[in-house]
Amino acid sequence: MENAFQEAVFWALAAVTVGGALLVVTQRDMLRAALALIVSFLGAAGLYAQMNAAFVAVAQVLIYGGAVSVLVIFAVMMTRDVPAANRGAPVQPAALAAAALLFAGLAWAIAQAEWTLLPDALPGPLEAVFVDSASTLGTLLLTDYVLAFEAVGVLLLAAVIGALALVRER
Amino acid sequence: MLGFGMAKGFRVTLRNFLRKPFTTQYPEERLPQHPRFRGQEFTWYEERCTGCASCAKYCPLGIIRIVTGPDGGNEQEGGSYSIDVFDIDQARCMYCGLCVEACPYDALHMGTNFEAAQERREDLVITVDDLRAREKRPSAWFRPQLAKEQFDPYAENADWKRVGREPYFWHPNRPEWQPEEQAQQASADGDYEG
Amino acid sequence: MSDLLTDNVIFRNVYAFVVSGLGAEWAWLAWLTAGFVLVMLVVNAVMALATGYTWAERRLLGRLTNRLGPNRAGPSGTLQPLADAIKLLTKEDIVPAAGDRLIFNVAPVLMLASVLLAAAVIPFGAGAFVTDLNVGILYLAAVSSLASIAVLMAGFSSANKFSTFGSMRAVAVLVSYEIPLVMALLGITVLAGTMSLVGVVEGQHAPYLLVAPLGAFVFVTAISAELNRTPFDVTEGESEIVAGYLTEYSGMKFGVFYLAEFAALVVAGGVFAALFLQGWRWDVLPSYLWFIIKVGGFAIAATWIRATLPRLRPDQILAFAWKFLFPVSMVNVAALSVQRLWLGGADGALTSSDLWLMAAINWPLALVAVAVMGRIARVRERPVRIAAAGAR
Repeated sequence: MENAFQEAVFWALAAVTVGGALLVVTQRDMLRAALALIVSFLGAAGLYAQMNAAFVAVAQVLIYGGAVSVLVIFAVMMTRDVPAANRGAPVQPAALAAAALLFAGLAWAIAQAEWTLLPDALPGPLEAVFVDSASTLGTLLLTDYVLAFEAVGVLLLAAVIGALALVRER
Repeated sequence: MLGFGMAKGFRVTLRNFLRKPFTTQYPEERLPQHPRFRGQEFTWYEERCTGCASCAKYCPLGIIRIVTGPDGGNEQEGGSYSIDVFDIDQARCMYCGLCVEACPYDALHMGTNFEAAQERREDLVITVDDLRAREKRPSAWFRPQLAKEQFDPYAENADWKRVGREPYFWHPNRPEWQPEEQAQQASADGDYEG
Repeated sequence: MSDLLTDNVIFRNVYAFVVSGLGAEWAWLAWLTAGFVLVMLVVNAVMALATGYTWAERRLLGRLTNRLGPNRAGPSGTLQPLADAIKLLTKEDIVPAAGDRLIFNVAPVLMLASVLLAAAVIPFGAGAFVTDLNVGILYLAAVSSLASIAVLMAGFSSANKFSTFGSMRAVAVLVSYEIPLVMALLGITVLAGTMSLVGVVEGQHAPYLLVAPLGAFVFVTAISAELNRTPFDVTEGESEIVAGYLTEYSGMKFGVFYLAEFAALVVAGGVFAALFLQGWRWDVLPSYLWFIIKVGGFAIAATWIRATLPRLRPDQILAFAWKFLFPVSMVNVAALSVQRLWLGGADGALTSSDLWLMAAINWPLALVAVAVMGRIARVRERPVRIAAAGAR
């Protein structure tokens, strides 16, 4: 029972994610495309939650669904009134070929990879990630990956200073 | 200090909470108006009215319609008309009170009621039957005789004998409380101060 | 699933009831029924409390302003929410012709959804909750950030300049106050050592309102701004921008927004009670009753603040968030972290006496921090024009 139910949930979430992504590229109206992107983000968050990565799922909703989406919608709103932006461009054969090539390459790579399910009994650190992901991730970020953590902090500082510089009154 | 202003504000609202609210529960309770309030519904005394239609002539909007017939009584003073139709179109009345100022016999007074809303425009016309049937609560506006005795129209009705400027000495139904010398004095020199 | 059966009292009882009635092979149906019953119970309770709170707030606002509230519909006006609902249901449903119909219709749904999702992690009694997430506190921050998307959707699909402007203002306020909110919640996480709300309630031997007053103050202020309550209700001040992003909404769509606002207040009260007021812990009253009383206390305090404080200007609101609340919340987190490292046991757990000691330290610290930050962060007297990039 659990397997069938979980499979159904997985397919539903995958449909939401991929469907949202498809809507993003096919919608004429940019605002609707941005909202479809949010739907796709939420679908991805659902997939993370289904894989027991609670912290990543919640962080996905918080950051992508709450902050990045707001940013994207603001950007869309600033350019929304340009009528040329909403007119769909005709599909160009070169672009179509490149996209098909990329898709083929990715599909081959995915099919070639060895996808194994995790064993039921996980080694210690991996088990800790799924039981209490937040504290394990926090510990990892501050011990093993502290350099990356600090670098991200500096990046955010640069972004904030850039934003302030953009809106400062001269 | 920081925050003391907010604390004072909270004290004010807390005190408001503990006080009794002074909401008047309309329509069970109504706030009384002042005695000279120019209300919406006119008070008309048929006993004093002679059908001269001065009110209709004075009305700047022409909303008073009076149709009279003969034989209204009061033959001793020359006779009054009988009032068959006395329509006041309340929908267009602006409550200027010129009709009340015009009436020589103090028959028409401003009323005190303001809850006269109707659901159709036709119902807003006050007919003579309405005027006859209503309670007599004349407003003290433009009636110094009522204001002088501090008549409160919200407290009591007023009889037709009370509301006049002159004592009506010649009226055969003049009130018994009218002292004889006052009546004689008025009739002698035409001076109505009494 | 085993977690649900062992920890969740309501789920366990309904599951056992169905299994005892139908047999063990219907376990999946028992599971579904139990989940359904639990969710329906919580959702209906939140909605019922929200509608009850609309009545209570109007009566209370009336008494706080020397007047009676609604007292005609039903005894003491208790049927007033029903009258409101009937009025909203019978109104004409208007969709702006130039606007985006789908987004216009979905926005109130998303707003209410974010509120009800947040109600899923609140423990309202011993073993009574919908789900006990390990990352419950972060989950609360996440779903409250979905509300800003709903506001944007509502404003931009209305094809109305006032709505657009109002929604941008509202989102600026919402986004600015998410950071102090998350920092206040971070302080609670540091204190409790866990992000799960059930864990926070169980570890709260002294109310965190007293232990971390600065955190409580920042939380209450930030959540008031998130809920668009006075003094931060520029988005819905009727004298201001018509009704901001709600201008074009009529009938039941507006009713859903209205309900979402009050349900958000109830949920925020639940979160405050769980995180700062020791949740359902007290032996005298049944746990859920005590919890409801605490939520009611929060709601009454929110109404009292609404009746007393004047509305702030948008630039004052943003300055308050960035210049005052954010540094104060950082002071809070720093102080709590230092105290936990110093006083905490082997795994960092804090006993009751530790908590009271921290309370004794934190109250003077709070007053000093507020005074110092208040002096540093002077708000400019003239409104600052919020210039868009490149627009001069």
